[in-house]
Amino acid sequence: MAVYNRRVSARPGRFASSRPQSSPGGQGQIEQLARQMAEQILRERDAAAQRARLGRIFTQFDSTNDVLPNNVETVTRGLFSGNTGSLINMFFNSNLTATQQTYFQDIYSTGDPASNAMASEELSITYGNFGGSGSSDLTGNLNNDTPTRAIYKQYAQILLAPNDKKFTFNGVDSDNIYVLNINRSRMREKLDPGNLELTLARLSGSSYTNATGVLLNAQGNDATLDQHTGSNVLLDGSGKYIQLIDDSGENAGAVADAGQIFNIVSGTLDGGATIHNPTSPIHYGLMFPQHGVIVLNGDVLDTNAGFGTSTGSGAGYQGENATKLFKSLSGSDALTPATVNGGIQARSSEQVKSTYYFVRVKNAEYNYSNNPSYTTGSLGELIFSTFINDPQVYITTVGMYNERRELLAVAKLSQPLLKNFTREALVKVKLDF
Amino acid sequence: MGYLNNATITVDAILTKKGRELLARGRDEFRITQFALADDEIDYDLYNPDHPLGTAFYGAAIENMPIVEAIPDETQMMKYKLVTLPKGTARIPVVRVAQTSIELEANESTVIRPNTVNFSGGNRRFGYTAILSDSDVCDIVATRRAGASAASIPQFIGDSEAAQSITVSGMEFEITGKEHLNADRQATLLIIGNETGGRTTVNITVRKVEVTTVGMAR
Repeated sequence: MAVYNRRVSARPGRFASSRPQSSPGGQGQIEQLARQMAEQILRERDAAAQRARLGRIFTQFDSTNDVLPNNVETVTRGLFSGNTGSLINMFFNSNLTATQQTYFQDIYSTGDPASNAMASEELSITYGNFGGSGSSDLTGNLNNDTPTRAIYKQYAQILLAPNDKKFTFNGVDSDNIYVLNINRSRMREKLDPGNLELTLARLSGSSYTNATGVLLNAQGNDATLDQHTGSNVLLDGSGKYIQLIDDSGENAGAVADAGQIFNIVSGTLDGGATIHNPTSPIHYGLMFPQHGVIVLNGDVLDTNAGFGTSTGSGAGYQGENATKLFKSLSGSDALTPATVNGGIQARSSEQVKSTYYFVRVKNAEYNYSNNPSYTTGSLGELIFSTFINDPQVYITTVGMYNERRELLAVAKLSQPLLKNFTREALVKVKLDF
Repeated sequence: MGYLNNATITVDAILTKKGRELLARGRDEFRITQFALADDEIDYDLYNPDHPLGTAFYGAAIENMPIVEAIPDETQMMKYKLVTLPKGTARIPVVRVAQTSIELEANESTVIRPNTVNFSGGNRRFGYTAILSDSDVCDIVATRRAGASAASIPQFIGDSEAAQSITVSGMEFEITGKEHLNADRQATLLIIGNETGGRTTVNITVRKVEVTTVGMAR
């Protein structure tokens, strides 16, 4: 066995000097001898390492050079099922109970889940009113226990700062909100700012009237503020639509208790994100990417999109305002040019942490196989005599083990990789967490 | 002048069931420290050193073969591992046991001592992993431990859902037939070399207990 820590000293007589540090010739000889010894040590160490690898099936990773941990990569995908970026055809979920429908509506792609097993849930929509207008008290008008009030306060509690009770859009509080709440499995970690577009068809905002033009409420009684609800909600017939995007392209966004917040403004993603009148955009709502929630200002939708939000109240009154948002979203694609998608366009965003392992296979390693087809007979003789001096094997699988040699992860190559004494291989194995 | 192919092969790994289990347990046991290579789906009969088009085509049938996806069952992956051996090796290290099949009565025991031929000192440090396919048929214990840390301990459900495999690691194993068998039962014992990767299988039969009923005279 080689002794690696031999001391190198200048011996009088051998190097013809009792003071080698002052003799340039002696110093050179010492350095040369030291270099030879160092090279010998390295050679012996390499040979020992090579011998130690023989008969082995495992190779240790060098944690410094072979492992690259915790690489963060942002992965974006189309928001909706099948990673599609557009939701154009929308369906309600008629499996919801009548009570559930007073609070929210589910939007599915492909079909109504009551009749289509392949239907995929994409998002929920709802309407909230600070004072509880637009719905009736479910407990008999005793305590203003209205669904719309509960919804408003629920989202205010989640998204606003403590003690901030009202949503504020461009400096103006609003009592009316429409909410789009993206299914968690669709948005993954968050909505991708800069890639959201809502297309809303203009609604008629019409109200019930009798034969003489007197306004009626949903029950057929005279009234002044009862707009159409449910299936009576109509597009205004002008073919007009508005497109809304988030303003992350122009605005770094605010960071508050609810995380990042961007404004929803008039604009389009077609041909790149473009905000309409960027110096003074029309504010339609707020986007909370981490929550997967978009809150639209009902007041502005009433004014600019003809929503005619039903704000009646009292026993038995249901405004069904979520239906208006549904009608406006689902009816928009028919109004846009053939090259422009209506409905909702959006992407999800997710940070994936990966560790890369560099599997380095040197020329002298892994050139034989335990595969039964690699041998013949019971004594382990190689199947081809040419393999004795020129073995050929094919790598198909990389197994990743812990110290106890438990197989923790496995990676397959797309094609067999030839390995022999003249080839080295470098395989980068990516493991996502 | 062509371009040299300098591409690094990048592959995505999946966690095995064992990997998920250790990751979920969160005791720092999920730490990948080593790798091994395998060629499970390669049949080297496809390699043809007599190919009429010459050396470049010897392995064409293998090289053009698509590879199936990885599956998370660690007992079904990495079966045939590649091994590092000196150039000029004529024989692959082979794991052997004296018995190719074993017959036992209830409670009868036998000892299995695997050894490795064709490679001096093979598997002497990490020993062998023995996987008994059906714990309902017999028991297995390691009677002599290996010099270094235990090897992989996969557990899988056998042909019968109630039958769990038993995996132990060591240099020597004792197998004992189970009592109360109402029929002759078979199991297999797979022994894998933890360093060289070779494997061998032993068939085990445990005979049922013949019970004589003695009638009582009136």
